[in-house]
Amino acid sequence: MTTARPAAFFRLEGTLVARPTLAAAAWLAANAWRVRERVVRLGATAAALPLAFGPLQDHALANRVAWAGLRGVSADRLHVLGEEYAERFLCGATDPAAARLLRECGEQGFVTVLVTDNLDVVARPVADHLGIDVLVSNRLELREGRATGRLADPVLGAHLDGAWARRLAEEHGLDLRSSRAYGAREADSVLLGAVGNPCTVHPDRRLRRIARQLDWPIVEA
Amino acid sequence: MGSIRQTLAGAHVLLTGVTGFLGKVWLSHVLWDLPEIGRVTVIVRDRDGQSARERVEAALDTSPAFRPLRARHGDAWAAWASARIEVLAGDCAAPLCGLTEAEVARLARSADAVLHCAGLTDFEPEPAQAIACNVRAAEHAADLAACLRVPRLIQVSTCYVAGNGSREVPEALEHGTSPAGEPFDPEVELAALEEAAAEATPRDRVEAGAARARTLGWPNLYTFSKALAEHRLGARHDVAALVVRPSVIECAWRYPFAGWNEGLNTAGPLAWLLSSPFRGLWARPSNRFDVVPVDLVARGLTLALTAALNGAAGEVWQLGSSTRNPFTFERAIELNGLAYRKYTRDRTNALDGFLRHLDPLPAPASKGVGTVPWLARMARRVERAVGGPDPERLLPPALRRYLAPPVRTAQERAHASVKGARRMLGRVDRMLELYRPFTHDNDWGFRTDHVAAATAALDEAERVTFGFDVEGLDWRSYWVDIEYPGLRTWTFPLLHGRDAPCDPPSDPPLRLEAPAARAEEVA
Repeated sequence: MTTARPAAFFRLEGTLVARPTLAAAAWLAANAWRVRERVVRLGATAAALPLAFGPLQDHALANRVAWAGLRGVSADRLHVLGEEYAERFLCGATDPAAARLLRECGEQGFVTVLVTDNLDVVARPVADHLGIDVLVSNRLELREGRATGRLADPVLGAHLDGAWARRLAEEHGLDLRSSRAYGAREADSVLLGAVGNPCTVHPDRRLRRIARQLDWPIVEA
Repeated sequence: MGSIRQTLAGAHVLLTGVTGFLGKVWLSHVLWDLPEIGRVTVIVRDRDGQSARERVEAALDTSPAFRPLRARHGDAWAAWASARIEVLAGDCAAPLCGLTEAEVARLARSADAVLHCAGLTDFEPEPAQAIACNVRAAEHAADLAACLRVPRLIQVSTCYVAGNGSREVPEALEHGTSPAGEPFDPEVELAALEEAAAEATPRDRVEAGAARARTLGWPNLYTFSKALAEHRLGARHDVAALVVRPSVIECAWRYPFAGWNEGLNTAGPLAWLLSSPFRGLWARPSNRFDVVPVDLVARGLTLALTAALNGAAGEVWQLGSSTRNPFTFERAIELNGLAYRKYTRDRTNALDGFLRHLDPLPAPASKGVGTVPWLARMARRVERAVGGPDPERLLPPALRRYLAPPVRTAQERAHASVKGARRMLGRVDRMLELYRPFTHDNDWGFRTDHVAAATAALDEAERVTFGFDVEGLDWRSYWVDIEYPGLRTWTFPLLHGRDAPCDPPSDPPLRLEAPAARAEEVA
């Protein structure tokens, strides 16, 4: 029987980079193949904004709506533009404090896990750039080389529950009690609460309050 | 089919066309993967003041096709190559490929097969050149093969001898009928082409040859002349000929290294055009673009050669991708736009920035904003608008004296520049017209059963090295990461009138062993 290894979970949005997921959806929509497609696709992304930031705050639903705007886009375009987006806007824009923590975790033998509700085509180049061991991201369903507009299950939203973390730990042989997790937004609090060593990095107002209540460390640049 | 290594160990192959793209890659591949091959005798023309030997030495020394071999053998490369490569001055357009009787007699004692790669690949050649380089040369190679102990010939043709008509193309020669369904007699057609070659002006000759090809159902004279060669060889019984038909040969996938290319090929001008302000290519989106990397074609040739040495004869082998791993024009055009974005990301000029965000699209012929005919119409209008008004008449009399001369000068400059652009558009339009049968009018699916069966018959180790594994080609990664950057490096410079890069010569330059020493060795 193999021994479970400790992991270090890093939330991409907020912790490592400032850009939200919807920015990627909008950029991909704005770079559709034909010019007139771009307007329609951007409309779908715009429709996701009130779902994410309005009173409902349903990030999973917002993601579904935003990515639905990419229905019919070829897998070729998603891959090549996903890579371009990652290289132009994410890889060079990582927060120095979070990047240092990531590096230290890697050096200390933690299995590094990048958690994002962005698409795999965008997150994979970032994960490769950062030397991440395990990437957990969303994936668009493809049919005959084109996106159906639906996200493949399970859909990751901004909120991740403890059950999700336990499933992942089981799958990859990770020990959650000795693991670390780094988050920046209130939505990350459930993930942070599921591991033995939670830590907040530039937390938002709500997460900062939770961190103070639960005595979680707060890292600032 | 037996083992490739067992069959080709110690074999002696006569090769034509070694200075061409495919010939170089095949020779390099066989020396790299089959160092146990006995000898390759290359038949090369003296050209541009260089002897055949000097041309081959220059290729072995500086062509990127031989880069892996130069790295593997280091200082011993010249000696190693000398032990396996023999250069004979010849000319495929001449009887017995221009070899002397003594040379033929000597070769006849040891050579196992003739691999005829030489040919003319221009879409619109002069008929005389097409006859000499594609038809007569094949016959001369067959005559040479007929002198061997076991007369075997591998003739490199093209899949597009199939002629016009969207369909699944079998690996067979259709005797007696042209693609247009007309009765077809190669003798009569050769005579007709020779008649076309006698027209007064080059333009008339080219047009007469192309018109004859089109009438019979071939897209151009190149494919027609290759078909004529196949028909002429098919009628011969003194030589066991195996015809290998590659489709569109493009940048190397893996060997000698990803992306290597030489010359313009087929995709080069199209990719270049789509990297310019032209945003619409005449193409039917769902039509298949049958591209095959040059190193896969080289593998296919080795498989065919092995089959021929094991007794296969009269077969037609097609080397393409359209039936096993289809790649459509829609996908090719989109990938080309994406690759353009990727490789011009660092450019800051406004035109590149604009083009990066305005992807090329497949366009129906003669329609659509951004297509060449549309641009030509616009250029004509601008030309008329610029050239039309006379400043002498438009300007008030008081200003004529002062303003008319500079206005006229500016007008003349603008007119000349628009006229130049319109002429260039005319040339591009002509080029697209030549490509139209391949991009728009026909959707071919070329069967590749022979090479697939030969690959399946190999053991695991040989399949990895020699298998025609076109199914494993990921078009996205091939086009964006291999083909497009390869074209940018090796082909686009030619389209801009510059030389393609080559490797620096060794110091001292490579010299193959003197023929006298070889004669002693052979004795």
